[in-house]
Amino acid sequence: MLNIEKTTNASELTVALAGRLDTTTAPELEKEIKASLDGVTALIIDMAALDYISSAGLRVLLSAQKTMNKQGEMKVVHVNETIMEIFEVTGFSDILTIE
Amino acid sequence: MIELKHLRKQYENATPLKDVNAVINDGDVISVIGPSGTGKSTLIRCINMLERPTGGQILLDGVDITAPKYDLTLARRRMGMVFQSFNLFGHLTVIENLMLAPMDILKKSKQEAYDTGMALLRRVGLAGREFQYPEQLSGGQKQRVAIARTLAMDPGVILLDEPTSALDPTMVGEVQAVIRDLAQSGKTMMIVTHEMNFARAICNRVFYMDEGGIYEDGTPEQIFDHPQKELTRRFIKKLKVLEFSVESRDYDFIGAGAEIDRYCMQNDIPPRTKYRIRLAFEEIVQQMLLPILGQTPIHAMLEYAPTEEQVTVTVAYGGERFDPAEGDNELSYTVLKRAVDGLTYSFDPEREAGNVVRVLIREKA
Repeated sequence: MLNIEKTTNASELTVALAGRLDTTTAPELEKEIKASLDGVTALIIDMAALDYISSAGLRVLLSAQKTMNKQGEMKVVHVNETIMEIFEVTGFSDILTIE
Repeated sequence: MIELKHLRKQYENATPLKDVNAVINDGDVISVIGPSGTGKSTLIRCINMLERPTGGQILLDGVDITAPKYDLTLARRRMGMVFQSFNLFGHLTVIENLMLAPMDILKKSKQEAYDTGMALLRRVGLAGREFQYPEQLSGGQKQRVAIARTLAMDPGVILLDEPTSALDPTMVGEVQAVIRDLAQSGKTMMIVTHEMNFARAICNRVFYMDEGGIYEDGTPEQIFDHPQKELTRRFIKKLKVLEFSVESRDYDFIGAGAEIDRYCMQNDIPPRTKYRIRLAFEEIVQQMLLPILGQTPIHAMLEYAPTEEQVTVTVAYGGERFDPAEGDNELSYTVLKRAVDGLTYSFDPEREAGNVVRVLIREKA
C-alpha cells in the first residue's frame, strides 16, 4: 500500500509518500508525478511516512530526477534510517539531493 | 550385531516407523536424534520388543527375535533398557533393585549379586546409598541406580530412552558422566537424546530420524557438521523455513509480503533484516525473474538460522540457464547485490529447477 499526497505551492510541488514503494505501487507514483510536473520548478519528495523502497521505487525517483534536472530541482526529505541505508549502499545518496 | 529389516510399527492413528533398515555393529554407540514424534523411542522400544513391530524383522546375531515362537527372555537378557522415568522398584532398596534380576533370571547367588551390585554402585558414584529406598534419592541418583541395575545383567546392548530428559537441569551432568563412562566400555549402545552436544561427544554414529525411518545415518562429523539431506540440515541448524511457490505473474505478491512479515515477527528477526529479506525477494522474483520467465514456476525459500544470525533466501527456477546478473534489469541487480551480504548463482542442467540464486543476509539489529 502506498499513500500519495500532493501539495502545490506556486511552482513547488510536494509529494508526501506513506507506506511501501515497491513493484506494485511504483507505477502509481510514476503516473502521479508525470501528470503533475508541468511548470514545476521544485519537486519535494517527503518520505517521512515511507517504510520501504525497492528498485522499482528508485527507478521512479531516478526518472523524476532526470525530468527535474531539465526544469528545476528535486529534493528528497525526511528519509528514515533504513531507507537512507538503501540509498547509501546503492549510490543513490550521491545522485539525489537528500535533506 | 543387530539388523533391522523393513521394520514397521503402525498404530491405529499413526505410523511412526514405516520402513526402518539398519545394521548396528557390536560396540557401536549410536545417538538417535530427530524432531519429536519421529519414532525415536518407538524404534528402541521395538528393538527390545517392548513394542511389537507390525512388520519387518529384527535379527540379533542372525536370529529373528520377532519370530512368533522366539523366547523373548533370551533377547532381553542381552539388551538392557534405561527409561526416561527410571522405573525402579519403589518397595525395594537400591541394592535389592540391583540384585533382583541377576538372582531371578541369571540364577546368581545372593552374595554374587550383592558383590556385583556394590561394584556397580561404586562405578556410578553411589556407594553408601545401597540401603536407601528410591524415594530417598534425587532424580539424578535414581537414574544412576537405574543404569547400574541395567549393567547388573551384563547386557551386550544397552538402550537408553531419553535418560536425562526427566531430570532437573542440575542433575543432567552427573547422569551424562555415567553414560559417557559406559560409552567407553565397548558395549553396544543406542541412546535417544535431544542433547546434541552430548550426543556428539559420546557416539560413533548418529541416526537422524524423520519421515518414518532413519532419514540419515552417519558419523557425528557427517551429521552435525556436514548433513547431506535437507531435513537433517534444517534440524541440526535449527532452521526456520518459509517456502513459496510462484506459479505466474498474477501470484499474490502482497500476500507473500505479509507472510514474510509474519515469519520475521515469529522468529524475532530485526526490522532492518526484514527489510532486506523483502527487498531480496522482490528484486529477484518480482523484478528480475517474473518478467523473463512468465509461466515458469519459481520456488523461493527463506531459511533463518538463529544460531548463525543469518537468513538465506534461495530462489530456484527451471528453463534455460539464466543468471540475473546477465539480465537487463541492472538497477534491480545492483540494489540486490549491494543490499545483501552474499549473492551467488548456479546452474545444474540435470535438475528440474536447475537455476539457483542464493542470497545471504546477516542479522542486523
